[in-house]
Amino acid sequence: MNDVAYLSPFVPPEWIAAHGLRPRWLRLSRAEQATDAGAHRGVCPCAGALMERVHRAGDLAGVVLTTVCDQMRYAAAWLDAQSGPPVFLLNVPSTWESPETARLYADELRRLGRFLVKLGGHAPTEKEVVATLRRYDQARAALRAECLSVSARDYALVLDRLAGHAPSPPAPLPKGEGRNAIPLALLGGPLLEEDFELLDMVVEAGGRIVLDASQGGERTLPAVFDEMRVSSDPVGELTRAYFGTIPDVFRRPNTGLYDWLGRRLRATGVRGILFWRHVFCDLWHAELPRIREATGLPVLDLDTTEGDAGSTPRMFSRVESFLEMLRESAIP
Amino acid sequence: MTQPPRCLSLDQWDRRYAELCAAGMREPSYGGCLRRHVEDGDDRLLHLKMDDSPAALRLWNFLLSEEDRLREAQASGKRLVGAMKDLGTVPVMVYALDNLIAFYPDGAWWLPCIMEHGDGLLRIADSLGVDDSFCPVRAMLGAFENEAHFPIPELLVSSVGATCDDFSAIAQRLEAMGHPIFWWEIPHRRPPEPDEPSVLLPGMFRAAQSQVAFVQSELERVRRRLEEYAGKSLSDDDLSAGIHRANLVRRKLATLREIVFKAARAPLPSLEMLVAEMLAIHFCSDQYECLVVLDELIAEAGRRAVDDVGVTDEEAVRVFWVNPVADLRVMNLLEDAGGRICGTEYLFSHALDLLPQHVPPMEALARAALADPMVGSARDRAARVCRDMRAFGAEALVVSRIPGASHCAMEGPLIRDVVRRELGVPVLEIEVPTLIDTMTPTLQTRLEALVETVKRGRV
Repeated sequence: MNDVAYLSPFVPPEWIAAHGLRPRWLRLSRAEQATDAGAHRGVCPCAGALMERVHRAGDLAGVVLTTVCDQMRYAAAWLDAQSGPPVFLLNVPSTWESPETARLYADELRRLGRFLVKLGGHAPTEKEVVATLRRYDQARAALRAECLSVSARDYALVLDRLAGHAPSPPAPLPKGEGRNAIPLALLGGPLLEEDFELLDMVVEAGGRIVLDASQGGERTLPAVFDEMRVSSDPVGELTRAYFGTIPDVFRRPNTGLYDWLGRRLRATGVRGILFWRHVFCDLWHAELPRIREATGLPVLDLDTTEGDAGSTPRMFSRVESFLEMLRESAIP
Repeated sequence: MTQPPRCLSLDQWDRRYAELCAAGMREPSYGGCLRRHVEDGDDRLLHLKMDDSPAALRLWNFLLSEEDRLREAQASGKRLVGAMKDLGTVPVMVYALDNLIAFYPDGAWWLPCIMEHGDGLLRIADSLGVDDSFCPVRAMLGAFENEAHFPIPELLVSSVGATCDDFSAIAQRLEAMGHPIFWWEIPHRRPPEPDEPSVLLPGMFRAAQSQVAFVQSELERVRRRLEEYAGKSLSDDDLSAGIHRANLVRRKLATLREIVFKAARAPLPSLEMLVAEMLAIHFCSDQYECLVVLDELIAEAGRRAVDDVGVTDEEAVRVFWVNPVADLRVMNLLEDAGGRICGTEYLFSHALDLLPQHVPPMEALARAALADPMVGSARDRAARVCRDMRAFGAEALVVSRIPGASHCAMEGPLIRDVVRRELGVPVLEIEVPTLIDTMTPTLQTRLEALVETVKRGRV
């Protein structure tokens, strides 16, 4: 048992792997209905499902959570009081304008390293770290090249694999949806297992997700590593590639998210945005009006709760109507 | 012998005020009859019961005249700083500069209650896409938008990081509305690793020395920004003097809490104590007057304690209260149900703790900021609640949820479990909306049940 679970894009899986443990991206499921503390009103479905999954997990050496939202902080406190696997809470600063914050993140990676050693991992040699970082970077590079030619569902699944142990470049995948479909962006929080149906639903309704900006999608991939810096300062390079470049909603100010979104929306020709937020996720919820203002694109607000699988007729008809509206607006 | 104190309705206060004036009561410039605040829209006063002392009158007038005070300060050439979220640290720095005044725009969260929604602030927040799934702090957006309450500060300084998501999200929305914010990072306070250098913080929390150093570096950024804004330097000596003045307020509050929470009969009501404790965070925009207000409350409470009179009887159940209430009337309700407050953790205990004066001032401020009960684990906070409950002899705990507040979803059960295990006392978790009127019978019944449970346990 040497799997270490995580579900934040700010946890570098290669850092876990370099310590001889298996990183495992937690794709949560709505079937994991929260009990105990997680069942309270106001707990977001992700935090609730996480608590349930980790609490009952008998196959994890440890769990790494982050401070990017306070529900996860409280989930960590709750899990810490249970008899489940050890929990490490990685401090990811919200601010980024001072260099001290990057130093804090780098120190946190080192502290994570000590935690991993305690879990049964080993302190890696510099050579091991560099080799592991390169392996993950190469796998991601291959994926980036593929992203426009595969379906959104397949792409998301490959990203999941990449976030795990010993990634390899993805095998050729079936070509994506029809080129006449309406190009859409998916923006927001993480997809739970059942939510992948949303991606199929979009195809069925005549759309095509060309930009997966959900948590776990293209938006949350780290930057390409700089070969020189990987060799000279691997922790520094991890810090730059993860903390320094992943645009996210919790950053303060979160202008980086809008800069990235603007660039990617222009590059992909997106005509509408599916805004994916879990109920009680304040960070995404509060951004909705600004996303509308900043992008000038039609936005469909998809708020989901636990037990509200993506395949529900309500959601399907909303997606269908949204695409219908986009289609009509294209007719001169 | 002191007359037994009473809690008065506003109508009763009108008569009381006339009596006090006839008896020659002298008031400060912001003094006057409480009724005038209702005329300004503070309708909640019509449904509150307030302590009958001149000290309480001064406290209420001090609180409810803050907006006027801020405008006067601005008109006199002082510059305003909107401190946000940290609740108690940045204002100490601001008040160390004589040409700046700090206040918390977050305080607008009580306006919908005080004005019984006559302010329309929550409707404005709704229209800005921040609906009632967020905590009432969203009223702050409305206050910035309609500019009908506090004057808009030219500088906003907000802590972020280990803060509640509601606040972080609302503040980011505010910035996007055209109000730039100077953000500073407050990291999650973690337990020090074995062999890692650590320090004891105010409130008895322990933190890694490296975290203190990090927060200090963040506060140094705040210091530089304040210096730019004030147009003058903020030396360590200035800061030490500022810390000394803040500690005067904190010492007085500690004295007041000691008298009130430990007396056989509560010498002051829970409502006035809540208002008094709030003075700690930014001195209600006047540090010197704040001291006078507290002196009068201490004198009144002390007299009553010596004379063994109070607003509750000796049988009142001693309750420790966690989180501030969105509707102030709940404080009256507790006493109506047979309870009294004996200890609080209103999210800003770190603003009540003395700032360390044996270390350099910036380090002292960093330690205080890291001692915020909300930036650490909920289990740390629960441990502090247990310590304070023991110190004040509390017999029960009420965890009051703030509607929509992200931290409230999980902290209640975490605190409850620790307190039950450590102290074995009854715990009640309730949610208090901005106005409790439609829920009063339910809340009253639940509080009465808590009181009865404790009383049965005494037998």
